[in-house]
Amino acid sequence: MDDIPGKIIDNSATIPGYHRLTVRLEKPIGKVVPGQFVMLKIPDREIFLRRPFSVYDARDTKLTILYRIVGKGTDALSRAQKQAPVMVLGPLGHGFTIPDLGVCIVIAGGIGYAGVRLLLRNLGEKAILFLGIGGVNELPLISDLKGIEVVTATLDGSYGYHGTVVSLFREHFGSYRTKDPTIFACGPKGMIISLKEFLEPHKVPCQVSIEERMACGLGLCFGCVAETKDEINPYKRVCKEGPVFELWDLSL
Amino acid sequence: MGPLAVELLGKTLKNPIMNASGTLGYGIEIEPLWNIETLGAYVTKGLSDKPHHGNKTPRVWEERYGMINSIGLQNVGVEHFFSHYFPFFVEKNLPVIVNFFGFTEDEYVYCARKIPSHDLIVALEMNLSCPNIKKGGISFGKDAPAVHNIVRAVRETTPIPVIAKLTPEVKNIVEIARAAYEGGADGLTLINTMPAAIIDTKRRNMPLKGGLSGPILKPIALRAVYECYKEIPIPIIGAGGIMNVEDALAFLMAGARAIQVGTATFVDPFTMPKIIASLDSWLKENACAGISAITGIAHD
Ligand SMILES: Cc1cc2nc3c(=O)[nH]c(=O)nc-3n(C[C@H](O)[C@H](O)[C@H](O)COP(=O)(O)OP(=O)(O)OC[C@H]3O[C@@H](n4cnc5c(N)ncnc54)[C@H](O)[C@@H]3O)c2cc1C
Ligand SMILES: Cc1cc2nc3c(=O)[nH]c(=O)nc-3n(C[C@H](O)[C@H](O)[C@H](O)COP(=O)(O)O)c2cc1C
Ligand code: FES
Repeated sequence: MDDIPGKIIDNSATIPGYHRLTVRLEKPIGKVVPGQFVMLKIPDREIFLRRPFSVYDARDTKLTILYRIVGKGTDALSRAQKQAPVMVLGPLGHGFTIPDLGVCIVIAGGIGYAGVRLLLRNLGEKAILFLGIGGVNELPLISDLKGIEVVTATLDGSYGYHGTVVSLFREHFGSYRTKDPTIFACGPKGMIISLKEFLEPHKVPCQVSIEERMACGLGLCFGCVAETKDEINPYKRVCKEGPVFELWDLSL
Repeated sequence: MGPLAVELLGKTLKNPIMNASGTLGYGIEIEPLWNIETLGAYVTKGLSDKPHHGNKTPRVWEERYGMINSIGLQNVGVEHFFSHYFPFFVEKNLPVIVNFFGFTEDEYVYCARKIPSHDLIVALEMNLSCPNIKKGGISFGKDAPAVHNIVRAVRETTPIPVIAKLTPEVKNIVEIARAAYEGGADGLTLINTMPAAIIDTKRRNMPLKGGLSGPILKPIALRAVYECYKEIPIPIIGAGGIMNVEDALAFLMAGARAIQVGTATFVDPFTMPKIIASLDSWLKENACAGISAITGIAHD
């Protein structure tokens, strides 16, 4: 882990509202476990704290993130020009653990795709992706994903299954039950909660990547906690003990 | 000891830079980036007699030139700290200032009693911004007689030097500092965060209220250090929005013996090692023999 200076080499919109940012770092970020993230210093004087983003791709000195514009920080980032200087602190946090055996089911909702993209690349054809997006216009988000089976749900019914990605997954789950499935999920809180409600009786292993507002990303401030079932010490740091947790350890 | 060394409450620190309480975890988390023994001293996260779980999220929010936090004093409890985390500082031979708090006078006293004397413990730092639940939740630090009493109660409990850490949310901070001094405080830390709130105009609610920190606090903190230095004859540790060596020098010149860096570490985790290195160069460039010589020179 280190804090590495870099320069923006690409910051173009993949689809409206979603940008892919690629940074050339002064040195390689090192080994990244899928699910780990970086704290990015946004090149804008008005933005004080760093922002957390999942590592979308990291090769040698090139680092890519995929982000959605949701507020003032991501808005300022979307306006940053090529060559603008950034600082990248990472890789941070506890990532996904890949099992030796069984089928790997990855469930991503919206921008949650950014959090599982490196995992999908590592898993390769061992994985199947259940993707939930708003509509067919968001499909280009996964255009760089090759060699992986994808089953898509759209909220507006414009492509694939009409409904949420969890309802889609519910219809398919039966065919994986006997194959030692491990589930990996990243998406909005509502998606994680309905996934939990569905999986409750089945108790299959499920790792989820969750989000919380952060200040430091390093475990220093205790600002980013998630409530777990640990009775002695329920609040765990998303940036340190997470962002990937066992679903069954969380109190959602 | 080199030119950055300072004397503080009978101990020698190798430099005047320490973290502000609650902004450097339990000390071990920063190790992947730099060695904690780079600091003059480590200030613990706020500890209490019994563990505290802290508040629900959101706990942190960005403001222009600062941030607001409402961590809720989550901590493992004073006993767990000493059995699990303190040995790390002993191994590093790093002086420690133990920040602690309570919601009643008794809780402060019980906690202080559990803090063992040790060569490396420089002082106990009392966080006086805590709400006093017996007085309707008004913080101890806002009321001069309450400050006097609670400092005295702790002072009588422990042989370790006691530092009173004051809130800026008072009419006259010199009067509060004097109450702490007369209660037996051996030093002052100035200042803690300032009460503040956020309004989310899209959701039309108040997602968070808590303590404001960061560069937005700096001039307020400097004023407190400057005023108290003139009036109160005990060492002052300055804190509030220190981002770089310029800010650190300003606090020293205003009268601080040492300084604490908090929020800046979130913006750049190397802030403290950078300040230490820059102070060293500053002394050389200014042909200054020792850093203690500049404490309070803005008053001359
Ligand atoms: C471990 C981790 C990995 C992440 N990975 C990605 C990613 O790969 N791509 C991506 O687009 N986003 C990711 N996020 C979310 C991203 O950090 C936030 O969207 C961003 O910080 C918002 O900043 P802002 O200034 O634009 O928003 P603000 O103006 O601060 O807030 C706008 C909205 O964003 C929400 N928000 C603010 N900060 C966070 C946060 N830290 N986490 C979640 N929601 C937040 C607020 O609740 C609010 O609704 C990740 C978050 C975490 C914790
Ligand atoms: C996340 C966070 C946690 C803090 N926790 C404590 C604490 O436990 N006890 C305490 O006395 N002060 C606490 N503080 C206050 C700081 O120690 C410091 O006084 C204040 O933040 C001003 O310094 P800064 O502007 O450099 O951050 C905390 C501040 C922050 C930002
Ligand atoms: S963001 Fe500071 S502890 Fe997680």
